[in-house]
Amino acid sequence: MSAQLPANLSEQTVREISDARDEPEWLLEARLEALEALDTLELPDVIQTPGRRWTNLEALDFESLVDPLNQSDETTREAPDDVVVLPFTEALDEYGDLIEERFGSVLDLETNYLTALSAALFTTGTFIYVPEDVNAEDVKIRAEMNSRSLFSHTLVVTEKSSSVTILEGTESGDADVEGERYFSNLVEIDAGENSYVQYGSLQNLDEDTYTYSLKRGDAGTYSTINWIEGNLGSRLTRSDVETELNGDASETKIVGAFFGHNEQHLDVNARVWHKAENTTADLVTRGVLDDRARSVYEGVQDVGRDAWSTNSYQRENTLMLSDESEADASPKLIINNHDTEASHAATVGQVDKEDLFYMASRSIPEQTARNMLVEGFFVPVLEEIEVDEFREDLEELIAARLK
Amino acid sequence: MSSDQDHLKETDTEARFEFKKEQKAAFAAEKGLTEETIRVISEDKDEPEWMLERRLRALKQYQKMPMPTDWPGQPDLSKVDVDEIVPYIRPDVEVRGGVDDWRDLPDDIKDTFDKLGIPEAEKNALSGVGAQYESEVVYQNMQERWEEKGVVFMNMDQAVQEHEDIVKEYFMTKCVPPSDNKFAALHGAIWSGGSFVYVPEDTTVDMPVQAYFRMNSEGMGQFEHTLIVAEKGSEVHYIEGCSAPKYSAFNLHSGGVEVFVGEDAHVQYSTVQNWSKNTYNLNTKRAIVEKNGRMEWISGSMGSKATMLYPASILKGRGASDNHITIAFAGEGQNIDTGAKVYHNAPDTKSTIESKSISKDGGRTNYRGLVHIANGATNSSTAVECDALMFDNESTSDTMPYMEINESTVDVAHEATVGKIGDEDIFYLQSRGLDDDDAKQMIVSGFIEPITEELPIEYAVELNRLVELEMEGSLG
Repeated sequence: MSAQLPANLSEQTVREISDARDEPEWLLEARLEALEALDTLELPDVIQTPGRRWTNLEALDFESLVDPLNQSDETTREAPDDVVVLPFTEALDEYGDLIEERFGSVLDLETNYLTALSAALFTTGTFIYVPEDVNAEDVKIRAEMNSRSLFSHTLVVTEKSSSVTILEGTESGDADVEGERYFSNLVEIDAGENSYVQYGSLQNLDEDTYTYSLKRGDAGTYSTINWIEGNLGSRLTRSDVETELNGDASETKIVGAFFGHNEQHLDVNARVWHKAENTTADLVTRGVLDDRARSVYEGVQDVGRDAWSTNSYQRENTLMLSDESEADASPKLIINNHDTEASHAATVGQVDKEDLFYMASRSIPEQTARNMLVEGFFVPVLEEIEVDEFREDLEELIAARLK
Repeated sequence: MSSDQDHLKETDTEARFEFKKEQKAAFAAEKGLTEETIRVISEDKDEPEWMLERRLRALKQYQKMPMPTDWPGQPDLSKVDVDEIVPYIRPDVEVRGGVDDWRDLPDDIKDTFDKLGIPEAEKNALSGVGAQYESEVVYQNMQERWEEKGVVFMNMDQAVQEHEDIVKEYFMTKCVPPSDNKFAALHGAIWSGGSFVYVPEDTTVDMPVQAYFRMNSEGMGQFEHTLIVAEKGSEVHYIEGCSAPKYSAFNLHSGGVEVFVGEDAHVQYSTVQNWSKNTYNLNTKRAIVEKNGRMEWISGSMGSKATMLYPASILKGRGASDNHITIAFAGEGQNIDTGAKVYHNAPDTKSTIESKSISKDGGRTNYRGLVHIANGATNSSTAVECDALMFDNESTSDTMPYMEINESTVDVAHEATVGKIGDEDIFYLQSRGLDDDDAKQMIVSGFIEPITEELPIEYAVELNRLVELEMEGSLG
């Protein structure tokens, strides 16, 4: 279903954004093309089963949510000296040619209405460039959203045989903003031959904010792209994390964690396309739901006709702490090459009664025991996180949410 | 297995399924679907007014609904043109509602069912048999000892006349309303033939009853309706078999199956479907299961150009349970899109779904399933297991399960695996002196054993034989 173009959006708006940042002509053109595409693009697909759409994006009123000329964020970036980590717009001066070449090459800016909206209007984001043979640990980006709407675009380029671990944290700032808000985050990773990228995201926006994020990686030969996606905040989260395994022997892991409470709605999706030989994918998502929170999960393992000798695995486990919560899941396997070993599994259940009983018998109070089990449930995700600070943050946020 | 193998050699299944008969019809409707056609069918069947009204309502529904086109990866239905099919053919048989002695059938029809092996099966293993040829049931028989207990097994057209009250209450009202999907609506408008099974309270029919559906004419549609009402504490096993020869025009099969499983009752519904490879098989099958009732769906989908079929169980009463076992085999040019749906609408309900698929020579199989656990369906559990076996790089196998969980005190598990046929297994079997084809055949037989062991021996043999023919690539 198509969303309407908000009245406050025009070519003039886009030109103003671009002018204010003194952007090169090509980027203005790209923004204008995205703007024009809004007329025909649809909102992102959501899962539908007889009688229902699992996430109601149509209900979002972009007219009132989007305030393109008043975007404001406070973002800090920390990085070792030998890698380039710059605010996206600043990076254009020095790395304009490289950015022009790669911008929108991994992530089609016209994937849907929301990606095009983001491309037309983004004002923040980060450019990360890791030169050949450089190993960079602990790149940290901490973003605070201080306006009604904020659009971010991040581009990561790793050269041959380099590696990098990145933590991106997103929170709402203290700024006084009345009512509902919208945060849009696009991330593209172009992983060069034999390079390694871990990209960890921790989204903890306040619960008046609606958020859309699409993160997409293109894995070259022998390269690895590992995503860690933590979603705790936001009123409605729509998060898509995707890797295309385009190089032979490339690998990806998509590790997700979510914890919903109150009226939160989490639509989280992990997708991988095996397009080359000897590729491996592992999708692991763990989520907990409390109160009237609702989760929607789609996992896709798509094995192409030419993806000989593929290994592909997917697991999704949801823990329900409340009867009013709802957990919907659709783990999909699309297999076009028979030389494949693929499996997926999904479970939904409660905290294990026997575990609770065992802990009670060791005189641990029930609520404490339950909390310990919930924390323990996230361990397989926490173990994957290479940036210590990120792991500690996530642990803290989970602990804080427990009753 | 060895005795099955011996039995296989004695029957030539290819000849059994692929022969054609010259069409001889007493009455054939015009091509296409209009109100007039429906009135003619209804009148030809001498139906009560309420049934005609239901048909006409269903037609309106059909005309209103769009073709399903937007499911991810669904079969292409663009060639399905209802205006091009003949919806109703009454074969030239003396007795309306079918004869009850094979000897009274016209030679050509008798010959058809002889080749299909129906009379042998009836003698050996079944409580009763109904056989449908084109749009009408031509043979119907039920062993006397069941009739004495009040069990009814008759063709659906006859049931409209003889058991009007039951049919009026249950026919496309609570279980499969025409509004369910476009092809259920089509079915409601032009249904013809099929089976009616009624099992009274506390009665166990301990041998299966069987219906066999044969489409013989080119460019026809078959729309049989099956209604099974199993009262409290009763038990019955219904088997349905289908086949059609191959023609260049397409055929459409759009059946409707409604099963009412009473309290503590147990119904098993088994199908081996082997429509010809120009048939679009778009069926709707559903059961409503009361307290502590148990429904079992066993299905083997071998034939058809494209199949879209997802038998559904609505677990309505506390403690109701459902088991699905399905197997799909898609060869060249075939797209078998099948699965299972279970709605857990009461506490303590249980379901298991076991789905196996084999794809070969560019065939496409898809498991598409829905498990819904309603709020309040406490202590329910479901386990879904899908396994896909692929033979080559041209084939496709998809798994698309959907799980909607509204209740926390549940146990939900879904698992799926896909793999190629193991080189090591083949090597091992070859080292024991089997050639490559036989080795593959044996692995597939083992793969589908969970299904074959649930079927009466005749059906298991037939299924194995069909798989064997598919493996040889000798079926057209």
